[in-house]
Amino acid sequence: MFKKSLAVLATIIGMNAAAEEVMITGTVASKCVITTDTVGVYGNPTPSELSTAPADGGVLPIVRYDVLQANFYKARITYPESFSESPGLSDVVTWTGEVTVAEVTDAGMSAYDTNKVEFNNVTEVDLTIAGSTWFQIESTADYGVGKAFPAGTYRAVVSADCIAL
Amino acid sequence: MQNVLPQQAGLTVSNVIYRYTAVKQTPDDMLVHVQNQNVDAPGFIFRETDDWSGIPGNTINKVVPVNNIPGELWGDGSIEVEGKGTVTNASVFYSFQFEPCFDPQSNPSCPGYQDPFEMMMEEVKVYDPLDDSLIQDELDRKANLRDEDEELRQQRRAMAEGKKEDRLESILSIVNTALLTAEAQAKAAELINMNFIPQSYYQSIPDNKYEEKIVLKGGDIPDNKRGRRVGFAQQLLHEKMVDSQYNN
Repeated sequence: MFKKSLAVLATIIGMNAAAEEVMITGTVASKCVITTDTVGVYGNPTPSELSTAPADGGVLPIVRYDVLQANFYKARITYPESFSESPGLSDVVTWTGEVTVAEVTDAGMSAYDTNKVEFNNVTEVDLTIAGSTWFQIESTADYGVGKAFPAGTYRAVVSADCIAL
Repeated sequence: MQNVLPQQAGLTVSNVIYRYTAVKQTPDDMLVHVQNQNVDAPGFIFRETDDWSGIPGNTINKVVPVNNIPGELWGDGSIEVEGKGTVTNASVFYSFQFEPCFDPQSNPSCPGYQDPFEMMMEEVKVYDPLDDSLIQDELDRKANLRDEDEELRQQRRAMAEGKKEDRLESILSIVNTALLTAEAQAKAAELINMNFIPQSYYQSIPDNKYEEKIVLKGGDIPDNKRGRRVGFAQQLLHEKMVDSQYNN
């Protein structure tokens, strides 16, 4: 008898209970936009060297960071340490690079050059001022010890990221 | 700015875009002012300052919104450097927009456009001398004088007519009194009896139709032969006169 009553009560409670789920949606648009300003070109000043420096016949790749809100993002730019496309290489390639501020929309952004953090092939800059900053990346590849690069097409990739702080 | 911005009414500058490279030593203090003088007032209509103090020099590419300042207010522009350092490769661009309906008369589709012909018609004011207060005063003065003259004239006329009426009344009174006399009545009857007054005064004239009673015997009127001769001579003379003007 008790079991039956409990079962009925549970049924009644079950019948009276109601539940609703309300959806909340939102869209976050990034306030940090990275745009390729100039595509880089390797120059070949010597048979064993590829360089993006204009003095070496190359073109410096330039990326632009547009930041709408200051102090929310940092730029992370990685210069290449390997070719994404190249003829077969039998010797070691020595990579060097440098990321510098090429152009700014606010004079204060010029301080990014002095405040940047560099480790390995990575450069990190806290974007403390809203606006646009152009970063130019210099990349140099030396093949072996004075060894000539095999003929062919060489491609390398610069990675530019915007990381939320 | 006369040689930079187009000379167009309704032109407003919305942005100033400038670019230069600041060359300096990092520890040095340097301020760079990009500015334009104000045409209407002392000072600058636009002045943007970049503080390069204590930071390395670099190339700046800046867009400064200026909220649509009218083009005619923009004076000469300059880049001024305060402190140590120089500016190279400088260029300044002005982004402007033109309001085509700044002058509503520039296009019939503009709000507030008025037909020039109608405007001209409104502007043409006909001068009515009668609206002139001086002339109106003079006219009023003359009108008053005329009224006064008229009153005087009427008074005189009234006086003269009064005299005439008096005379006529006196004459009529004499006539009436004369007619009223028995002697006059008898004289009038006597005149009628004497037929002194024509019969037509009191007899009706018959309105009969008077038919033609003269009859032409034979009914034929012959031509006058002598007249024909005269007519012929006149014809000859006429033709001779007409021909004479062609003979010479």
